[in-house]
Amino acid sequence: MPSINLPGMEWAWLIPGLSLLAFAIIVFLGKRLPGKGSYVAITAIGLGFILFWFVLKDLLYSRPATFNVTWFDVSKYSLKWGMIIDPLSVLMLGVVTSVAFAIQVYSLGYMKGDPRFGWYFAVQALFAASMLGLVLADNFLLLYITWELVGICSYLLIGFWYERRSAAEAAKKAFVTTRLGDVGLLIGILILFKQLGTFDMSTIFQAAQRGDISAGILTLVAILIFLGAMGKSAQFPLHVWLPDAMEGPTPVSALIHAATMVAAGVYLVARSFPLFEVAPYALDVVAIIGLLTTLIGSTLALVMTDLKRIIAYSTISKLGFMMLALGSGGYAAAMLYLMTHAFFKALLFLGAGSVIHSTGKQDIREMGGLWRKMPVTAVTFIVAAIALAGLPPLSGFFSKDEALIAIRDAQSPVVYLLALVAVFLSALYVARPAFVVFFGRLKPENAHAHESPPVMTVPMMALAFMSIISGFFVFNWVGPLFGLPAQFKGFGAFLFLEHPEAFHFDVMLAVYSTLIAIAALGLGWTIYHKGLISPASIMERFAGVHRVLVNKFYMDDFYQAIINRVVLAFSNLVALFDRRVVNDTGVNGTANLTAFAGYRLRYHETGKFYDYALAIALGTTLIVIVAFLVT
Amino acid sequence: MIPLEYFLILSAALFCIGLYGVLARRNAVLILMSIELMLNAVNINLVAFSSRLAPSEFLGQIFAIFVITVAAAEVGLALAIVIRLYRNRTSVNVDEIDIMKW
Repeated sequence: MPSINLPGMEWAWLIPGLSLLAFAIIVFLGKRLPGKGSYVAITAIGLGFILFWFVLKDLLYSRPATFNVTWFDVSKYSLKWGMIIDPLSVLMLGVVTSVAFAIQVYSLGYMKGDPRFGWYFAVQALFAASMLGLVLADNFLLLYITWELVGICSYLLIGFWYERRSAAEAAKKAFVTTRLGDVGLLIGILILFKQLGTFDMSTIFQAAQRGDISAGILTLVAILIFLGAMGKSAQFPLHVWLPDAMEGPTPVSALIHAATMVAAGVYLVARSFPLFEVAPYALDVVAIIGLLTTLIGSTLALVMTDLKRIIAYSTISKLGFMMLALGSGGYAAAMLYLMTHAFFKALLFLGAGSVIHSTGKQDIREMGGLWRKMPVTAVTFIVAAIALAGLPPLSGFFSKDEALIAIRDAQSPVVYLLALVAVFLSALYVARPAFVVFFGRLKPENAHAHESPPVMTVPMMALAFMSIISGFFVFNWVGPLFGLPAQFKGFGAFLFLEHPEAFHFDVMLAVYSTLIAIAALGLGWTIYHKGLISPASIMERFAGVHRVLVNKFYMDDFYQAIINRVVLAFSNLVALFDRRVVNDTGVNGTANLTAFAGYRLRYHETGKFYDYALAIALGTTLIVIVAFLVT
Repeated sequence: MIPLEYFLILSAALFCIGLYGVLARRNAVLILMSIELMLNAVNINLVAFSSRLAPSEFLGQIFAIFVITVAAAEVGLALAIVIRLYRNRTSVNVDEIDIMKW
């Protein structure tokens, strides 16, 4: 068979490159293009998705590789642009391109008629480009650059409707909160650079594995890097920005909370896993933070009434769960969870967006019985909800069980029990919007609700399809089914090229985790659908607990108090210093002194000729005398 | 041969007279004349030193000719200014010319 030169992994840089190009095209020419340039962005990400398949195929038939070009040299250090093609980055490429593609197509319908339609797609393209660049980066410097690009894009998109004060505030909050983590990440990277003199990831990881870095510094670096991941992945206590980020357009929420921004943190920890493995305590920190986050997120998701906020808190809880799995050494489990979560969480958001688009409301108490009006949205939303709850055979079931096995094997029974509680809670909190929004009586004011146009429902159906089947990748018959080389049996084997690891399946665990999820869904059904147990009476009985939850554990108030008392007080001090010392004394003081000196000294200028002549004569004499004395 | 000191004393005396004239006179023309005296004092110095220290090279003499040339030009310019001054103010008293100050 003649060999055709298909684009291989060396072309992977085009995947982010195309979206970056799309951003430039839309910014400069968007107004003159059809659809204000939206099609450019969609074409770019669509081509990226196609390229992903070639890269994947190339990876399956050859070995992971890195490609780089030198950016510039500074003395003995060489900074490079480079990309790493390995199972982890290719998996992320697939997730990001597919979800971003679905979301951008959906946005065509959702953002229709928005005055900044073109700008929206420009930022979406830049967002996708930075995220794709982030997952491809083969050195920490490039990773940090794209990391910050992701941050600025999320700022732009959350604050997309910046005319609304709350949106502008939310964007600011997201930016500042994640920045707290980013500083940690930067310090961690710089410490690594100081230790090893390179940003290159594989060099750093090899050095760490060899033990070239002392354990103390390694732990410090790992925790600093995790700090960056905490900011981006909304881990406790830096999770507060994520629910507020719901101020952005709903597809943005889907993109940020499924495929891109929050996934960046989990990806970073997974990418730096060789560091975490050898750093004592680092994984424990990851696990504990993850556990706290998942519990906080899932309890808060139970009491929110804003549809998007419920899903936002569910994202926090799921991200915590991934971190918990990572902290338990469940690398493959966490990445599987990241992938399945990307699909069903994007779908949940798109479903919510469809409902909001149709009814114009966000409060679930004002909804009900919408399945008659919007059957496609209802079905896809419920598919996503079941996937999130983790019922077999949907994708969430496999990823959740895989994570639970990792947690059970690595952590104490208490942690494992709490993880099961989180599983129960997540099924319960997702049952609530599903039942309340789509079942029950249709409210008369929602009578005009209608199904969304195909441009929105088709991406949702595609994501629903992925939510259903993406769990099957774990099985060892998947690889042979597509005629792949023998070593690629399934997801675990794919991620661990060197040490193939099959999908663990524990029947007992599967049975009772499923039972827990069913119990939670049943409880949700009795409470939210049948009304056998009235939510109001529960609220009354646990009024104190409810109040704490509704106020989000008072964390926002606590931070606000800190900002008011400490940050603003310090800022006032700095402002005072600036006004009094820098401005009044330093700048104006110099000017005043000069003016005063001139005012006084000008009187010695008499304008009389002989005064000057005398000064010259005496001065010259003086100089001569001094010169004479000195020599 | 006349000792070098005599030339130096003559030159110093001439210079001091010139300096006195510049500082004490009020008439601009007289001040100019005093400046000429000072310049000529310098010329005497130059020629005297030159003929005594390097008689074959005439460096001092050449320099003195330059000084004379420049002095002539300076007097031409200065007298022109004095004339303009006189046309404007009907006076060449430098006491009255004191507007070049704050």
